[in-house]
Amino acid sequence: MELSGTFELENVTVEEVWLALSDPVLLAQAAPGCEFAEEVDDPDDVDFDALRAAAADREDPPTLPEADPEEVAERAIEEGDHYAAVLGVKIGSVNPTFEAVGTITKREFPEMHASGEGASSDSSFEVSSGMKLTETDNGVQVDWWAESDVFGRVAQMGQRVMNPVANRLVNRFFSQIADRLTDVGEDSPNVRDRIKDLI
Amino acid sequence: MSIETIESDEVERGKAVGSSMQRREDRPLITGEGQFTDDLKYPREVQLVILRSRFGHATITDIDTSEAEAMDGVLAVYTEEDILASGLDNTIPGDGGQDHTAPVDRHLLASQKVRYQGDPIAAVVAKDRYTGHDAVDAIDVSYERLDMVTDIQDALQKDAPVIHEEAPDNVAFEWSSGNADETLASFDDAEEVVEVDLSINKVVAVPMEPRAAVAQYRPAAEELIVDLGCQSVLGVQDHLSGVLGVPEQRITVRAPEVGGGFGVKAQPYTGHILAAWCAMQLERPVKWQATRSEAFVSTNHSRRHDLTARAAIEDGRIVGLHVDSTADVGGYLTSGGAGVPSGAFGTRLLGQYDIPNAFVEVTGVFTNTTTLSAYRGAGRPEAAYVIERLANACARELGEDPLEFRRRNFIEPDQFPYETPFGSGYDSGDYEKTLDKALEYVDYEAFRERQAEAREEGRYLGIGFSNYIEICGGGAGGLQGGQLRIHPSGKVVARSSLVENGQGHATGFSQIVADELGVDIDDVDIVAGDSDRVPEGGGTGGSKAITMGGNALKEGAKKLRERARAIAAHELEAATEDIVFDDGEFHVAGAPSRSMTIEDVASVAYSGNLPEDIRGLEETTFFSPEGSTAPFGTHVVIVEIDPESGELEIDRYVAIDDVGTQINPKLIEGQIVGGVVQSIGQAIYEDAIYDDNGNLLSGTLQDYAVPRAKHVPEIEWDSTVTPSPNNPLGAKGVGEAGTIATMPAIVNATIDALEPLGVDHIDMPLTQERIWRTVQEAQEE
Amino acid sequence: MADHDITLTVNGEEYDLAVESRTLLIHALREGLGYTGPNVGCESTLCGACTVHVDGEAIKACTTLAVQADGREITTVEGLGEDGELHPVQESFQEEHGLQCGYCTPGMIMTSVDFLEENPDPNRDEIREALEGNICRCTGYQNIVNAVESAAEKLEEAE
Ligand code: FES
Ligand code: FES
Repeated sequence: MELSGTFELENVTVEEVWLALSDPVLLAQAAPGCEFAEEVDDPDDVDFDALRAAAADREDPPTLPEADPEEVAERAIEEGDHYAAVLGVKIGSVNPTFEAVGTITKREFPEMHASGEGASSDSSFEVSSGMKLTETDNGVQVDWWAESDVFGRVAQMGQRVMNPVANRLVNRFFSQIADRLTDVGEDSPNVRDRIKDLI
Repeated sequence: MSIETIESDEVERGKAVGSSMQRREDRPLITGEGQFTDDLKYPREVQLVILRSRFGHATITDIDTSEAEAMDGVLAVYTEEDILASGLDNTIPGDGGQDHTAPVDRHLLASQKVRYQGDPIAAVVAKDRYTGHDAVDAIDVSYERLDMVTDIQDALQKDAPVIHEEAPDNVAFEWSSGNADETLASFDDAEEVVEVDLSINKVVAVPMEPRAAVAQYRPAAEELIVDLGCQSVLGVQDHLSGVLGVPEQRITVRAPEVGGGFGVKAQPYTGHILAAWCAMQLERPVKWQATRSEAFVSTNHSRRHDLTARAAIEDGRIVGLHVDSTADVGGYLTSGGAGVPSGAFGTRLLGQYDIPNAFVEVTGVFTNTTTLSAYRGAGRPEAAYVIERLANACARELGEDPLEFRRRNFIEPDQFPYETPFGSGYDSGDYEKTLDKALEYVDYEAFRERQAEAREEGRYLGIGFSNYIEICGGGAGGLQGGQLRIHPSGKVVARSSLVENGQGHATGFSQIVADELGVDIDDVDIVAGDSDRVPEGGGTGGSKAITMGGNALKEGAKKLRERARAIAAHELEAATEDIVFDDGEFHVAGAPSRSMTIEDVASVAYSGNLPEDIRGLEETTFFSPEGSTAPFGTHVVIVEIDPESGELEIDRYVAIDDVGTQINPKLIEGQIVGGVVQSIGQAIYEDAIYDDNGNLLSGTLQDYAVPRAKHVPEIEWDSTVTPSPNNPLGAKGVGEAGTIATMPAIVNATIDALEPLGVDHIDMPLTQERIWRTVQEAQEE
Repeated sequence: MADHDITLTVNGEEYDLAVESRTLLIHALREGLGYTGPNVGCESTLCGACTVHVDGEAIKACTTLAVQADGREITTVEGLGEDGELHPVQESFQEEHGLQCGYCTPGMIMTSVDFLEENPDPNRDEIREALEGNICRCTGYQNIVNAVESAAEKLEEAE
């Protein structure tokens, strides 16, 4: 299944979007149905139960706009990083929970690629994706694409169900990001400058 | 007009055959009392749930069952290892390893490699099915995904992924039939050669009851008892014995109510074999009930061919027929996986036409999809589709009316019995007769005028014909037992191995037996579907219940009547030759007052005072017919198509069928109408589609469009009667006829409607989108 | 899994039973109480084999939770008809050969009974429309439509 799209974010700069989309904490919060996302060393050997337990005991640090941009930059994802996540999605009549691992395969301002795979009890997926930011007259345009292979029960429901679900999830994700960033742009001009310097 | 039924007590003695008596099967089914497999419940029963592959093609690197095993309520989790450890070889009988087929096994559970989405991997037995499904979810299988191929054309490419090492080119079988040299030569000399390329869609039978079984094992007696919805209790007994190594006579197989068979419940599957095996391991009743999504990926699919059919024409007659086909067998060669797309398809390609030379070649191909085998009609719907599409293409090429072309090429009534170049025989037929009758319903001339007028107004009407034959009902050398007993009370019990799947066998059998014995129809009971209580014989399939089962009982009843006549002679102190049987009564010729009813005879039949050779009224007969039967008919479809939207509407559907002697016309009508609607499904709606990742995309009743009531037209049914000379009843098979006739009639009608728009070909299913696209493409050309 | 004590009145008889939150009404009826008339054909509201009446209305018991039916009156096909007599709809299914394998039949009958209460004098198209949620793979529907049509006449005569 191939998907792509464009999302417009108004009143923000490319640097702000870049930084926000580099923040694993914010990404996990914005990703629909994401229970947690955690950096791991070895993507082939992930103990999800342990991660889940650890995540439950922990509180997320602040994200933009409240967070200190330097702190965010500090924890920003880097090329070659691996993350493990648990994602619950509602697709048609089923509610699979996927245990997923992803790798940042490319990270060069203003373009980022990631690949990943996940499995639930009766379904699994593999995905490679990417996005590129460009400045527009009144903000930033995000061009994104994803190529995914889905297997098992979920895939059996066919594109009729899958395509709208995928589009809905991506849209929800970017709207979340947009919401947060509007605050960055409007309320905190000094944050804006600091971010600019960071990149 | 729909046929009126009568109640059984309105049936006159001796006149049951031919009457549209109401079914004796119905009462339990309309009150909820009837028991399907999942309705049965045995003490200590536990549930089997099967884990199936999510991938179309992958190697399995690890199966971790530990979490599932540790769950509360889980009795056992089994993989291939456990099956091997119990001494089984983990294979199920199929069509692999024959002379012309690849030496490929089918496994009960996969451990190394999975080859289609739905391939069984592990089995959980749990106290209830909720826990069973939870435990299946907890099994962790590590897969390494392999490249996969789901389409037959792709599978034959040089660099295609190899599905079985034993078949490196993915060829499952190669088969041909007919007179090759003469046929190919006929094309060299032909005035005209007409060719069609057809792609036949893959469909799923979808009986409304998914497969199920419940097995019990009695260790002390070493007895296995399996209840399951199936088509052949003796067949299941056979293969269970073969796979499990339990002697046949210790296995009881019973079919309770069966919620539809349609060919896909005719053979061995992992589910019911595992239920039996688990029952033996755990020594308690084990039930397996497939879910609908499981059924979609694991119950055989059917009918997928890509082919080229060519006709060589001289003087407006087909003198040579050559069909070259590639057929899908799915991930393994299941039982019938090679047989159905080869012989059952190939040798039926002549249809109603007198064609001196014919040659067919079929290559069976493995793909990473669910296995394919028989589905109602099994090869014959595909064959009828090919020849009837070709017949229309020939007429079009010659610029003549499709009916004229057909009539010229028909086998004439005096040519029967007719032998085809494929070596199959047609018993009897009169093809003009059903066509003429169809034209009494549809005024062809008037339709053509209406069609022309409609075109003026920008409306597109089309008419399509299908003049089909099928070969069914058993064949020479076939054998079917029938067992009868007249109790001293005069009540009759008849037994047969044919399993009821909804056809109404018991109703038909009782009509036959009652007439032969001259008893009241309600005094005849039928026993079937229990391997311990029926005589040897075949299962349900190939439209042979009446032609084989009915004739066996008829012959048996006749023998009993003769015995009864001898007893009557003894009692009435007359010579047997002088005893006349009339209206259920034996009397001495010329002295009607010296008489006994068959009930009177029964009351004295079980006495040691009778001479030994006429004691008792019990009889087991093994019937074998002279040959197979070839029912035939004409189906006519009128469609209207809106080329703007691609919408197709069936305006009329007329079906005229000749199935020889009719035992119960109402049931025949029901079989035809049901079959027609199933094939309307294939023609217009149904398609088992896979994506490149081996996922069955149409794997729910939402995506796989089985026709609903509002999708199908009223079917106008009528018949002619040309008895079969091959069996005493003169009956021909009926169960599959409707399915066989329908598809070409609908597609021919569609092409006829769209001809002015430049359309001369379209493949099934005729979805709105496909029609729309076809019209667009034709317009662009 | 939490257990709930619920009360179901099935075909006039009251039952107290304990079910899990996720127990489906169809399983409570079939496995819990032995009413095996309604069948399971799809587990997803698509085939109608499981149709029963809850408070007089036809519903699909495969996607109704048992707890949702707590305190309600349920009728299954076993509960149709009175004093050992068939309900006119049942009778018509037999007379018109409206069933073959019979797996869809309990659902078809329950849907039809409810439908005829709403629309006592339907035409054939309306009947076909009303049966949209019920799949039959055997009969081709024609005799089912005939059965519903003739049951409508019978019910009207009985009025
Ligand atoms: S089982 Fe409920 S609608 Fe199919
Ligand atoms: S009678 Fe078999 S599904 Fe309707």
